[in-house]
Amino acid sequence: MRRRDFICLAGGAVAWPFVAQAQEARKVYRILWVSTATEPDPFLDGFREGLRALGYVEGKNVIFETCYSPGNPQALREFISELRRGDTDLAVSSGPATRAMTAVTEVPVLFALSGDPVALGVVKSLAQPGTNFTGATFLSLELAGKRVELLKDIYPKVRMLAVLSNTDHPGEPSEWRATMQTCNGLGIDPAYIPFAGAGELDSALRTAAGVGADAMLVFPDAVTMVHRASIAELALAHRLPSMFGWCEYCEAGGLLSYGANQRATYYWLASYADRILRGENPASLPVMRPEKFELAINLKTAARLGVQLDTSSILFRANKVIA
Amino acid sequence: MSEIKPQSVLPAGGTETRSRRSLFFKYFATLFVAAVVPLSLGAVVEASFGYRDQRRQISDVLRVEARSAADRIEAFTDGLRDQLGWTVQFPWAQDDDGRHKIDAQRLLQQVPAIASVSLLDETGAERVFVSRLRLNRMRRGIDMSADPAVMGARANKVWYGPLEYQHDSEPYMRIAVAGNLPAAGFAVAEVNLKLIWDVIAGIRIGRTGYAIVVDDSGHLIAHPDISMVLRGRASSADFGPIKHLVGSTSGSAVLTGYRGDPIVALSVHAADVGWTVIAMQPVKEAFAPIRAALWRSAVLIVLGVLIALALAYWRAHRMSGPIKELEEGVQRIGSGQFDHRIKLSSGDELEQLAVSFNEMASELTVSQQKSARINRLKQFLAPQVAELVEHSDGLLEGQRREIVAIFGDLRGFTAFSTRAGPDVIMAVLREYYEAVGAVTTRHEATLIKFAGDGFMLLVNAPVACEKPAKQAVQLAIDLQAAVQSIAGRWCAAGHALGFGIGIAMGPATVGTVGYEGRLDYTAVGSVVNLASRLCSLAKDAQILADSIVARSVADSIPLVSLGEQRIKGYDETLEVFAVAHRNSPAASIGAGPREGKVVTLDA
Repeated sequence: MRRRDFICLAGGAVAWPFVAQAQEARKVYRILWVSTATEPDPFLDGFREGLRALGYVEGKNVIFETCYSPGNPQALREFISELRRGDTDLAVSSGPATRAMTAVTEVPVLFALSGDPVALGVVKSLAQPGTNFTGATFLSLELAGKRVELLKDIYPKVRMLAVLSNTDHPGEPSEWRATMQTCNGLGIDPAYIPFAGAGELDSALRTAAGVGADAMLVFPDAVTMVHRASIAELALAHRLPSMFGWCEYCEAGGLLSYGANQRATYYWLASYADRILRGENPASLPVMRPEKFELAINLKTAARLGVQLDTSSILFRANKVIA
Repeated sequence: MSEIKPQSVLPAGGTETRSRRSLFFKYFATLFVAAVVPLSLGAVVEASFGYRDQRRQISDVLRVEARSAADRIEAFTDGLRDQLGWTVQFPWAQDDDGRHKIDAQRLLQQVPAIASVSLLDETGAERVFVSRLRLNRMRRGIDMSADPAVMGARANKVWYGPLEYQHDSEPYMRIAVAGNLPAAGFAVAEVNLKLIWDVIAGIRIGRTGYAIVVDDSGHLIAHPDISMVLRGRASSADFGPIKHLVGSTSGSAVLTGYRGDPIVALSVHAADVGWTVIAMQPVKEAFAPIRAALWRSAVLIVLGVLIALALAYWRAHRMSGPIKELEEGVQRIGSGQFDHRIKLSSGDELEQLAVSFNEMASELTVSQQKSARINRLKQFLAPQVAELVEHSDGLLEGQRREIVAIFGDLRGFTAFSTRAGPDVIMAVLREYYEAVGAVTTRHEATLIKFAGDGFMLLVNAPVACEKPAKQAVQLAIDLQAAVQSIAGRWCAAGHALGFGIGIAMGPATVGTVGYEGRLDYTAVGSVVNLASRLCSLAKDAQILADSIVARSVADSIPLVSLGEQRIKGYDETLEVFAVAHRNSPAASIGAGPREGKVVTLDA
């Protein structure tokens, strides 16, 4: 009796690692990437990098299915409505795409939002999401005023600020409101230039050029992200010191940007993806907020603008200097 | 060895299995006690000591890790305090706010954990506010003198605020520092404690052990899994009890972790901020070495048991084989096959036993042969002589000793032998000698020779006896009675036969006489002649004895003197005695009941 037990235990002990290995090797996870941006997608790359660091190998134990609808969340909505349990193990929505995902209840959804997920209704609270949604929020709303302040610091002479805003973006009204309040406090006249989707961007840019502003603020958003190079070019052409949300804009020629590192956030999001794939419930994974904000300045743009800028007030604070 | 011997002589068959099993049990018990018990004891002792050592070692490791984490947390908060100290070095001047603002902005740049900082003047009024998220403020003059941060810093130079969760999720805390000069005012910073994660995340105790930081009420401040911290106040439900349990012991405590698995945990207090660092490791991992040692011991014990079993079985088997062989051999020897030999080469006491059995068997053969030879000799020799021939120990050597010679013969035999046919003669003689032989044997006398109807017996030679005279007289009486009883039947058949006996006692030379190939034991001396003469004198049914015999038995058997008699071959007369018969007192020589029928007594 004793001996038999021992053999069973010994056998079990020997067999266990193989079982564990087999279980790990067996499953190939399918991740659906939903975005309103375009390819190549630096955020998807950041996410992929994060997964790789966690030991996932694309094609072996994880497969990406991508669904891009550049600047058009509406088109996504139709695709998403077809999404059911079993189609995919996890959906990852980038930016405004999350708004199209609200109807999804059967598949866990990871998001990276610039707005407030509680306001969007996908989570109940940041600490306890309580739904099939969780992820990260970039706090654009709080940073909106900060961006105006920074622009004022580098270009104290600013009087009229052109504010380029995509109204399709979730949380856009409150972002505009925060911006307006700050402008008023700092004695700046904001020129609100709204546009709805990628189709209206060109006319909005023309408006911005003609409104007579001496600086430009662009809300971070998938559409402006996609067209960041042309927006930066326009600002430069009209000698407008420009302020953006993420450093990618600055790298594309924008003067300043202030916000969380998007790529780092997506890299980190992969760890939540890993935990959900391994069976954790997204309802109990708190929504992350970035604690580090990057201030980026493009000195080349500053030089080419031909406007007198107080770069010294920014340089000692900048996390990223593009020279 | 000794306890199995009795079983080996049991008859074979059903008892064989019983003997084997009991042997097995004995061997198993012995080996169990000898091998398994010390092994188990050793394992138990090793386990208990190992557990104690392991427990102490775990405590040491946990304490070191927790202490180091606490030190690093203190270094973190000390760093914050020192950095804040830089901003309150100089007294506030009139148009100084710009410089202070830059100081504050530098602070934010250098210390990522600080989310915002307020610089206050000596009255506690805010002069500069710089934040990463919110708008900066200058010259606003909010009066914060009643703020606990300002009051705390005013009292103790430095003040650490309680843990707060922003949005019910992100852990924050305020630190206030007062300048060395009262005029330098205060700096109050808002610290994002998520940044402590770096301090904690790097700590690995063993493979899966880690450290956490909680405040006094068990609210989580830092955890390797940051999402645990972001659950906000809900975390105290999980970690409050752990903190309470671990805090109540000085060493490590074994308790149930928040995931429900048993953990070993130890806590260290970070005094500055009033936080507790708890280092923990899953019991499964912490006690893995001792568990491995237990497994090793278990394997050894099982191995020991198996070896003991195998050894016991093998030994018992090795035992029962030879024993069976011995048993069989003993049975065959017992049934008379003395030529059977037990072949054993076990090289131990059993082999010795088999050798002894074989020796016994060969000795049995020898003694059986000897007794067969004696039986054959006894047919021709007197039994006592035959025995002496076999066990010759000098008794047959020629020597002089006191003997009693008894002569007896039938009266009227010569006449009878001429008249009767040979088969009748042989029948009479056979009956006669059977009676003589029986009485002689009974009295342990030695029949030396017989010829026709006469015979000669010796008492006290070659076999010595205590009272030869008495024994001889008794023998003679019995002999007379035996022969007389059959003589009656002979008379009835018409054969007039009587029987007389002569006894004499005295020294004689006894020994073997003859030549090689034919030897006889005999006695030579006058006593023999005298006995022969007395026999000749005796009438039927009469027993005559010489004076030596008569004297020797005087106190037990009454003899009647017949007076001095002249005896042939002797110059002087000798006194002759007769055994007194109950029914026929031997009054005179030649007198007897069947006198008329006896022709002569002369040989």
